Amino acid sequence: MERIPVHKGMLCHLIRYSRPDLVGTIERTGQIQSIVVGLGRQGMKHAGLMRDFGTTVTAGIAPDRGGQRIHEIIPVYDSVSECLRENPDIACASIWRHYTTARDAALEIIEAGIPIVVLITEFIPRRDVRDILHAARKRNIVLIGGNTPGIIFPPEGIKIGMLPDVFYPEEPAPRKAGPSGVTVISRSGAILYHMSEGLASAGIAQNAVLGVGGDGVIGSTFRQLVPMAMEYEHTDLVVIAGEIGGSQEELLAQDIQANPAQYPKPMIALISGAHAPEGKTMGHAGAIVSPGQEYGTFQSKKKALEEAGVPVVNSQYDLIRVAKEKLVNKTYFQVSSYYEAMRRKWETPPAKPEWGTIITKIEPNNISISGYRLDEIILNASLLETAHLLVKTELPSDEILLQHNRTAVNAACQPAPDIERIEGEDVSQTLAKCFLSDRALAGFSRSGTDGPVNKTVYALGRFARYLAGILGHENVLDQAGPDTSFTSVIYGALTGERDTDPDRTRLIEAMITASVDHGVTPPSAQATLIAASARSSYEMSVAVGVGAITDVHGGAGSKAAGFFRQCVSKSSAEKIDLETATRLTVEDCMRQGRRIEGLGHRVHTQDPRRDVLWNLSESFGLAGPCVKISKLITGIFHQVRAIHLPINVDGVIGAIVADLGLPEDLAKVLFIFGRVAGLSAHYFEEIASQAPMRSISFAEAVYKGRKDRSFPK
Amino acid sequence: MRLYEHEAKKIFNSVGLKTPRQIGLIRTPADLNNLEISFPAMLKAMTLIGGRGKAGGIRKVNNMTEARTAAGEILDMTIKGYPVEAALVEQAVSERAAFYAGITTNPATFNVILMASAEGGVNIEQVALENPEAILRKEFPDNAMEMKEPDALEFARFLIRGFGDDRDLAAKLKTLIAGLYSAYQKFDCRIAEINPVIVTAEGDAIAADAKIVLDDNALYRQKTLMDMIGIAEARHDVSELTRDEARARDAGFTYVDLLHEDAPKDPDKLYVGLVPGGAGYGIFSIDETVNIGDWFFDGRVVPVNFMDSGGGPSQAGVAEMFHLLMDKEIVDIIITSRFGGISSCDVFIKGLIQCFRDRFRRGDRIVPVYGRMVGTDLPSAKTFLERAKRETPDQLKDMTIIVGNQKIMADVIREGIVLGFERMETKGAGR
Ligand SMILES: CC(C)(COP(=O)(O)OP(=O)(O)OC[C@H]1O[C@@H](n2cnc3c(N)ncnc32)[C@H](O)[C@@H]1OP(=O)(O)O)[C@@H](O)C(=O)NCCC(=O)NCCS
Repeated sequence: MERIPVHKGMLCHLIRYSRPDLVGTIERTGQIQSIVVGLGRQGMKHAGLMRDFGTTVTAGIAPDRGGQRIHEIIPVYDSVSECLRENPDIACASIWRHYTTARDAALEIIEAGIPIVVLITEFIPRRDVRDILHAARKRNIVLIGGNTPGIIFPPEGIKIGMLPDVFYPEEPAPRKAGPSGVTVISRSGAILYHMSEGLASAGIAQNAVLGVGGDGVIGSTFRQLVPMAMEYEHTDLVVIAGEIGGSQEELLAQDIQANPAQYPKPMIALISGAHAPEGKTMGHAGAIVSPGQEYGTFQSKKKALEEAGVPVVNSQYDLIRVAKEKLVNKTYFQVSSYYEAMRRKWETPPAKPEWGTIITKIEPNNISISGYRLDEIILNASLLETAHLLVKTELPSDEILLQHNRTAVNAACQPAPDIERIEGEDVSQTLAKCFLSDRALAGFSRSGTDGPVNKTVYALGRFARYLAGILGHENVLDQAGPDTSFTSVIYGALTGERDTDPDRTRLIEAMITASVDHGVTPPSAQATLIAASARSSYEMSVAVGVGAITDVHGGAGSKAAGFFRQCVSKSSAEKIDLETATRLTVEDCMRQGRRIEGLGHRVHTQDPRRDVLWNLSESFGLAGPCVKISKLITGIFHQVRAIHLPINVDGVIGAIVADLGLPEDLAKVLFIFGRVAGLSAHYFEEIASQAPMRSISFAEAVYKGRKDRSFPK
Repeated sequence: MRLYEHEAKKIFNSVGLKTPRQIGLIRTPADLNNLEISFPAMLKAMTLIGGRGKAGGIRKVNNMTEARTAAGEILDMTIKGYPVEAALVEQAVSERAAFYAGITTNPATFNVILMASAEGGVNIEQVALENPEAILRKEFPDNAMEMKEPDALEFARFLIRGFGDDRDLAAKLKTLIAGLYSAYQKFDCRIAEINPVIVTAEGDAIAADAKIVLDDNALYRQKTLMDMIGIAEARHDVSELTRDEARARDAGFTYVDLLHEDAPKDPDKLYVGLVPGGAGYGIFSIDETVNIGDWFFDGRVVPVNFMDSGGGPSQAGVAEMFHLLMDKEIVDIIITSRFGGISSCDVFIKGLIQCFRDRFRRGDRIVPVYGRMVGTDLPSAKTFLERAKRETPDQLKDMTIIVGNQKIMADVIREGIVLGFERMETKGAGR
């Protein structure tokens, strides 16, 4: 259903009482931002349900959980003030903390000046509630509760609290909400639902449904909320649902008689407890009928309200009848469309299980990281910028980037761990061992908001060092100082050359960046995620990911480089052109039953990393015969086998590595280098946003990160 | 939770308030022999219900013979239906003046309010009605833990307006008022009241009576207080729990019997058990059942219980709610509504089905259940229900749960009652 603009709704009307300054922002952004305070079972669950209903849930608050994310994308802050520093326009907060901690949570929110505070918690000691009330009154906050199910605004599609989605707004045109209707205000949650559905069954819309809370001492009462609701121009009738105990109903009645001008609209009171036995506590602390009181009984409430001219009912049938009388000639919606909407709800099959990642979106022929296309990233960003983007979802500032460069170079300058290589072991196994034996890396802290990104940067620096060690280039790193660029460190570590050639350097970095991530499904990412889910250390989790990069996953580049070189030497040895040499080589391979590596991809028909790497190598004048072959190979393969197998990123990297005259093995090393950044991001995402030891079904992952955006120039 | 007078006095003593010397508690007149009584003494019925003074539950006695007679009479009394089980013996004090002092949370403003009156020992509501100027009221919106000295002094001076400038007494009353306030806050009271405060001939200000009602929500942090009065967990107010009320409390939900435990069953009437959802609808569903019974069934429908089945109970908790009602002989049908907000329809239906299956397996009595579920987790609840009905049709044949709000709850209750009467007739015919 199309909702009304939020600034025209009742919630914004309530916000205006307390924080008129926020209304402009709400109108401009079309959003009322809210936070969920307390992330126990209920807070977690209802944060998701609120968001699904349409509420803008900007953040969750839970001490000691800052930096995590709930429902995969909602950020968590340690405190309200930290949240407000980054999100100053929060207008609503719901509190889901236990009654022993609810007071402090509420005071913090109120001190922060958030205008609408919904206190869900039940059983808060009265002394604590009085403290909360005192603070709220001082700052003119609209406090709802405690022990409230919350508030819901069907026309805007916003709820703050746990009210189920059973309310229905005015529907002036099919599937389009209008602001008019009845405002329902109740002390009890379930009565609220039953009253609203009673009204809806008679075609009467609710423009707001407010649960004031069932306790004896609460924030806003009928006397405060009824005039506010009546002042809202689109409210036609106010229904209050009161019950035995307390004196709210009597006080409202007094106020109606004393200040009739504040009550310009019709009203109905449903009072429950007509048949409750005296002197028994009925759960709601408020509902104790003490013998001999002139308030608090069904009779005292009924009498007071009737004297104030408010009809009092005690059943759903009577409520519907009297409401219809008060609203003659009003139609808000077709009852059939209400029942149709409700039927859709109860007939919806349970939601398909899914879980979210906000790092990388993988679609056929498109890879994007936090909304930026990977080909643009390869062209414009350094490895460190890309690593920052992977972990933090935004590009770093120049200042931060400088810091990262220093961290990474410093990491590369520390000696590599002493490890033993077993004859013939895969380089990924050697690198995994480095990760696990590295004191410097293990000692580098990952705590704090920037801990994850700093750790990732440090790990990349260490990785350069490991490679230099494995390749025998450690001496090249001796001359690196604080002002050396990490890019040249990478180049030195990989090639052993002291004089960095800018174009070659750039091309190598581009190949590394091209390999950073491919979502959660590659075996390396799966291995890292499973380890992270069991809360293995960072080093262990990344190491198992690296270890999963083998000849079958990520290792094709080296094989491809070898193949291309074979074609080139055939061409020169037999003095035939490249194309013919390649075709003959392919035919040879087919005869021997050997695969051509670097061809085909399970997602992409045109690998999004292909053209950008080809173009870079050509524009730098670094493309040679292997790149040329890599551009022909798909066609040649088709001529031989009649099968269309597009070249993939491994094939392209293999060709470039071969043309650069580097060892073939380096193709795989570059891939692993880049992937360390992606695996780090997946590790940190898992621990920040998922419960430990969940069972991970990789096919159920859904990208929930930033929408597509163009890379800043 | 309301404290007995002698308990409240202990609490007041702990914050420095003076009380008459507490001699002891007796449960039989013979217990008097174990006490060291100096006469005159007071004998007071220990009850949690008000009105014992009017009923003759407070006596002054001047010697042992009088004491025995008075004790016998008091311990035989029943006040407003509640038998007196113990009496307090305390020193009688000479009385120069009697005041009233009480603190509560004003139900209108929700602020702490202190009230004092120079007319003590009488019904303060009466005074408030007839002679409002005799009462000084002050609210403390800042909810401070201690009272400010000038405020306490203001009350003290107000009380001894007619006494001339008695500084010593003013100081004593100031301490008493400040102590009362302090106890109110420190012990998380809902009511802390002294009526009367007695000014003795010697010029002391003492709490001759004491009333404290504690905030149950805060009992968890009142261990010191509980230790002081020697109880381990909250006590039910006024009356004892019935068997089923205690069973529900042990299972973690609130339940109240609306009928006397062994009330006779009228064969013409339908007795309805209610598993209604939260406390609010728990109260309202009683009204709905009675009203619908009156309007459509000649008043032949009797709700049996109040229940708070909301707040997100566990599956076992839900099962126990139904078990409890099915174990009650008097219940003919159970009507239930799950309007899931915080509570999940999924947990609800699993608990209900578990109850049916358990009873079927054990051969326990099964009472038909008629109701509806709507709200949180409905889709998965519906899937579960449909599968359960396919898999164990016999076990669940007496369970009718409407999925979604296809009809309003009042209609569901009405249909449930119709079904209940049908069952009653078939059963009757079978007999
Ligand atoms: C506020 C409320 C919803 C929280 O319930 P919940 O989400 O199930 O809470 P949990 O059991 O997950 O956690 C409760 C607390 O125990 C803490 N906790 C749990 N396990 C812990 C452990 N092992 N060590 C330390 N703390 C622990 C949690 O951190 C949480 O603390 P916090 O509330 O201060 O943040 C609940 O207390 C409540 O009031 N429910 C009734 C609400 C209601 O019905 N309102 C009215 C409707 S009409």
